[in-house]
Amino acid sequence: MRYRLENLIPLPMVELNTSGSSIWEADSFSFIQGETYLVEAESGKGKTSLLSMMYGLRKDYSGNLYLDGNNARHFNAKEWSVTRKNRVSYIFQGLELFDDLSALENILLKNRITNFKTEKQIVDMAEHLNVAGFLHKKSGILSFGQRQRMAIVRALCQPFEFLLADECFSHIDKKHEDAALKLIISESNRQNAGFILTSLGNNLHEFDHHLKL
Amino acid sequence: MKYLFKILWQDQSRSHLLWAVLGTIAGFVLLLSGIHFYENMKNVLSTNKDLLDPEYIIINKRVNISQTLGLGSAGFSEKEIREIEEQPFSNKVDPFISNEFPISAFTQSKQFPNFYTELFFEAVPDEYIDVKSDQWNWSEKKEFIPVILPQDYLNLYNFGFSQSQGLPQIPKEMIGLLQFQVILKGKDEKRTYPGKIIGFSNRINSILVPYDFLTWANDKFGYMEQEDPSRIILVSNDPTDPAIIKFIEDKGYDTIREKLKSSRLNIILKFVLSFLVAVAAIIIGLAFLIFLLSLQLMISRSAEKIRRLNKLGYHHREISHPYIIVLFGLLMIVTLFSIGITSLIATKLSGAGMEWSLPIEEHLSANIYLVSTGLVMILFALNTFAISLSTRKLCS
Repeated sequence: MRYRLENLIPLPMVELNTSGSSIWEADSFSFIQGETYLVEAESGKGKTSLLSMMYGLRKDYSGNLYLDGNNARHFNAKEWSVTRKNRVSYIFQGLELFDDLSALENILLKNRITNFKTEKQIVDMAEHLNVAGFLHKKSGILSFGQRQRMAIVRALCQPFEFLLADECFSHIDKKHEDAALKLIISESNRQNAGFILTSLGNNLHEFDHHLKL
Repeated sequence: MKYLFKILWQDQSRSHLLWAVLGTIAGFVLLLSGIHFYENMKNVLSTNKDLLDPEYIIINKRVNISQTLGLGSAGFSEKEIREIEEQPFSNKVDPFISNEFPISAFTQSKQFPNFYTELFFEAVPDEYIDVKSDQWNWSEKKEFIPVILPQDYLNLYNFGFSQSQGLPQIPKEMIGLLQFQVILKGKDEKRTYPGKIIGFSNRINSILVPYDFLTWANDKFGYMEQEDPSRIILVSNDPTDPAIIKFIEDKGYDTIREKLKSSRLNIILKFVLSFLVAVAAIIIGLAFLIFLLSLQLMISRSAEKIRRLNKLGYHHREISHPYIIVLFGLLMIVTLFSIGITSLIATKLSGAGMEWSLPIEEHLSANIYLVSTGLVMILFALNTFAISLSTRKLCS
């Protein structure tokens, strides 16, 4: 799959100064499947907005956004739902976990849509991020860093052609960040997916593309 | 689905759903038992009348002072007769015909007291006559005129007149022995025929002769001006039809009320039933609103969670499923309980009916199952529609 952005900009940002942005200033910009992108910017430069538009959560933008040549503006609820089930996965900055469910239940809630992973694979991934011991705890009582890692595991429990991650390492220490990134990259490679990570700008990892918003 | 339930069913107050269920059950029970009661009372009415025996109704115009003064007509015009014929309850309609010449009769016999009287005859087609007799026919060669009198006349004579006058009572079977002469007086011809009473009618309150005879005699002797028939006989297959009595009253006609008692009772019954149905409809309507509002409340309480599920890739229809399943379950409970309670009422009613010797059915009719299934389906459809609408709105 390929994302193509044409003069895309969120409406609230139209009046703002976006000079120097490799996306908002570009007439046309493409995200290509199989490649990794790091989108760096300070707060308020539209990182979350960009991912939200690509995930169909925000529709207040000018310009156009194409998924494989199909204008996202014309997607209906069903098409977005199918896209979110099978083609694009998202690690939300706000995590969007259900506090009342256990961490495992939260992950299974996502996994059961496509039955993509076995429960064993899920536990393995959690172990990799050092949170397997918390899988049966209510997610509401976990620390933000632990919940962030649960959200990463959850996002990997579906087929995807793009993985959108919105500052998903903000509360994770360096050691676990490396492990999480490794897990994500290996899963993306396995699925031949594109990976877009937004970050405040202190990321040292190797990405195919470094973009500034 | 398990997790969806867990998420959407949390922090929900269930008491308003309970009230919705109780209210709907109450409305359903009222409606269903009303229908059951009505169906059975209708049966009771029609078993009192013989259902297979169509009702013969004789209609006349109400006599009023203008007719006494000779201003209005007491007869039915052709148009009025046609109008009666066109009523859905009329299976067959015929006017009475009467003599258009003077008639008198006298007796000369040793067994009976002698008398002389002016007389009238009326006739209706033979199929309306409830006296079966092979003597009921007419040809010019026939040696006597067969006559049918109302049963009431014989009763009046036997239990009133004869006793007070010291005359013998006459059994029905003996009446054929009573010989009398009938004088038919035409304009310039006068003929005397023997007459013979061949039976008594419970149905028609008149002095009847065969239709063939009267048409023949009117032809031969009649010289008076032909008047509109003053009485109409009609056959109705459903004498309980409330439309009969309504029509007769609206038109200012008259009939023997006793015969239409069941029609009148039916009107009352229908009135009571409509009242019951109206009350039941209000209750069901309110319960429906509670259902609707409860589900909407549940949905808006979970608005945030629904949006979150949608973000995870759940389609709004999938998110609606738990609500629809809960709705379905509650409506099943409503159906089972209301049919159960109505059955219980039917059993009690049947027991009570037995004491009054009213045959009330113990089991519910198919109609009741149909009505309740239909209503539940409507409730289900409307609520499902509302649920999908609001989850869809949250997800867009």
